[in-house]
Amino acid sequence: MSRAPVRNGAAPRRPGDEDDICPVCKSSRYLNPSMRFLVNPECYHKMCESCVDRIFSHGPAPCPVAGCARTLRKARFRRQTFEDLHIEREVDIRRRVAGVFNKREEEFESLRDWNNYLEEVENLTWNLLQGVEVKETEKKLDAYRRQNEAEIKQNAALESQEIADSEAQFAAQKEQARLRREAARNEELDERREKEEGRREIIDMMAKGDGDADAIARESQKVILKKSTARRTAAEKSRQQAAAKVDNGAAAAPLFSIQGLKRIPQSVPEKEYDPFGGYAIKPAYYYLRDHYEHSWLDNARSDAQITAGGYDVGEYCARAIMEASGGLGVFIEDEIEGREKRVEKEVGTASAAIASGGGGEGVDGDVL
Amino acid sequence: MAVSPVVTYDTTSNIKVTATKAKSLAVRTNSVSNPRNGSLPEPGKGQELAERLNDETKQRYVKDKKLGEGTYAIVYLGHLRADPSSLLAIKKIKVNTEYRDGLSMDAIREVKYLQELSHPNIIALHAVFSSKNQNLNLVLEYLPLGDLEMLIKDSEGIRYGTAEVKAWMGMLGRAVWFCHENFVLHRDIKPNNLLIAADGEVKLADFGLARSFSDPYRPMTYQVITRWYRPPELLFGARFYSGAVDVWSMGTVFAELILRSPFLAGNTDVHQLELICNTIGTPTEENWPGVSKLEGFLKYDKAATIPVRGREFYLSRFGTAGPVGVDLLMSMLALDPRKRCTARQVLEHKWWSSDPRPTAKEDLPKKGGGPERMGEDLKRKGGEIEGGRGDNVARKLNFGLAKS
Ligand SMILES: Nc1ncnc2c1ncn2[C@@H]1O[C@H](COP(=O)(O)OP(=O)(O)O)[C@@H](O)[C@H]1O
Ligand SMILES: [Zn+2]
Ligand SMILES: [Zn+2]
Repeated sequence: MSRAPVRNGAAPRRPGDEDDICPVCKSSRYLNPSMRFLVNPECYHKMCESCVDRIFSHGPAPCPVAGCARTLRKARFRRQTFEDLHIEREVDIRRRVAGVFNKREEEFESLRDWNNYLEEVENLTWNLLQGVEVKETEKKLDAYRRQNEAEIKQNAALESQEIADSEAQFAAQKEQARLRREAARNEELDERREKEEGRREIIDMMAKGDGDADAIARESQKVILKKSTARRTAAEKSRQQAAAKVDNGAAAAPLFSIQGLKRIPQSVPEKEYDPFGGYAIKPAYYYLRDHYEHSWLDNARSDAQITAGGYDVGEYCARAIMEASGGLGVFIEDEIEGREKRVEKEVGTASAAIASGGGGEGVDGDVL
Repeated sequence: MAVSPVVTYDTTSNIKVTATKAKSLAVRTNSVSNPRNGSLPEPGKGQELAERLNDETKQRYVKDKKLGEGTYAIVYLGHLRADPSSLLAIKKIKVNTEYRDGLSMDAIREVKYLQELSHPNIIALHAVFSSKNQNLNLVLEYLPLGDLEMLIKDSEGIRYGTAEVKAWMGMLGRAVWFCHENFVLHRDIKPNNLLIAADGEVKLADFGLARSFSDPYRPMTYQVITRWYRPPELLFGARFYSGAVDVWSMGTVFAELILRSPFLAGNTDVHQLELICNTIGTPTEENWPGVSKLEGFLKYDKAATIPVRGREFYLSRFGTAGPVGVDLLMSMLALDPRKRCTARQVLEHKWWSSDPRPTAKEDLPKKGGGPERMGEDLKRKGGEIEGGRGDNVARKLNFGLAKS
């Protein structure tokens, strides 16, 4: 990216710069070679930088592209990454969804579960991409985000840690390579210097004139060899040390990052045991009302044959009201109709519901 | 609520079905049952559609080997055609001509209530379809690790303590609470109806005797709940009762988990009452106002009356549960159903938050052996059972007799 070819001194060409006329101000790149185009992920309508400055510097404003009018903020304008704005948009949406649905494979018990999850997320993404049921999908996304805030954060941290780790690893490897190259270069320099020195020694010896040239040359060669062997061992050692240093750094990283992070959720103090297992507690019967007055129920409240077995009129009232109001598919009116007019109009729905259940058409075989 | 919309064509009851339910029930109604009057109200299109839907459902599942045989059903291991790695239990209901409409009421109840109750501690019903000969098939969650009864009995192979008992009771409590919250009585709670999932989760199963809370003045049968787990009001022939019957069963299961043997194992109904009197206390008008008015009440000799046991008795027998646990057990085993705690109160009890913390389900002791051994177990069990539902309820009795 940083090395995009620069032509004619114009701003580096980037995707989106191909159309050379700003659809908003119609100014042309030909006349203004430094013109750059920006997009806003709200609508992906492209416009030039100066248009953005002009229109949005004083706060959010509607998109100037005809027929759009979406409210845009300056801060969200950015350069285009992909030539095709559809792809640009898809990438943005995918990034956004992936930022929320960031579960990891290891969280799933089986590959099948993981695949199912991915498919579900893909469906969601697809809806957003295709503009199908956008409102509901966004709602789902938002609900999921709110419900799983902690987990999402944790996974995001894990992910960025992983990226950081792999970056650190990469940097460490690069550093190692650099040290290796440096060592090799030093070695070469040393060798050259020694050879140089060796040659000078020979010349010195010859100049002193003690011994024949051959013997002197042989002798000095030995010296050079010895020296270079010693040097090579030293270089090897320092290289190994450097490598060890880097390795240690790399090995230490996961200990303090990945593994630590992964363990944190497990070592978090256990949540308090919830006897209800996370299910919401609906209002208890007695919160409803203690006593629903209905003469039809009086006997059920007083007859020992009914009460001594534990039969509870209150439970019945709760059920009747729940069924009447909770829309469990009971059509009170239909039930009341055709029944002798036991229900006085002014009693209201609760009582009506209670009374409606008491079909009283004798004993059914305790079937359902 | 009087008549189920599941199986009849009673027009007055059909209007009670919500649209979504109606959609799914249509399959069952048409393909599963023969309406009482023998003729379908709307032959032709509707039925064709129903048949097609049924076939589609049927096509989705594949039956593998037989897992076991129960009173009124054969249970197979199965899988989704689309996913051979999936595990399911397919319960094929035996056709019995004795039953009205050729269909067992147990199966109808099971379908009706399992469909309504979706909870982690209640066995999940995935689908229902009919196969050839109008056999009804329930596609259920596969629960491979046996049942609580197997764990209780395996006192050599399986060791557990209060934390485990608390975990199991917690799961049972949630299941029963959820049933009652939805106005459903289970009426057959016992260790062998508490199946165990691969992850250790306990699931309440067998809704063959379940029913909705009854309307006022609508009598219910008292011939429910396997005897050892049956509360005194049912033994006294009460026809009007409440969720308290299930709570008593829970209490006896709780006791059994601690004792590792059935708590009140009566040989006959009268013997069962006798055990209750001797162990818990004699029901009287004082401790249970109105009890003498119940149809099947048995008068006891004043001199032989045993006062309701106090804490010391429970502490001596169930001390491992701790004083708080004993308090919960006692409140579940109150003679007078109105004094018994409700399923909600069970879950609200302070035992759950007192030490020890319930064991995590994954760490609970498991019956080993996998599907192979399970199959063996089921075969053995299936062999013991014969006849209709009545036999099943009385099964414990036969079992008890054989033992004593
Ligand atoms: N969902 C399931 N998963 C595995 N095994 C099951 C399942 N449901 C039932 N079984 C086993 O199959 C056998 C027959 O089931 P069922 O008809 O419910 O028997 P029972 O009459 O003993 O309750 C039982 O012994 C039970 O353990
Ligand atoms: Zn412009
Ligand atoms: Zn726009």
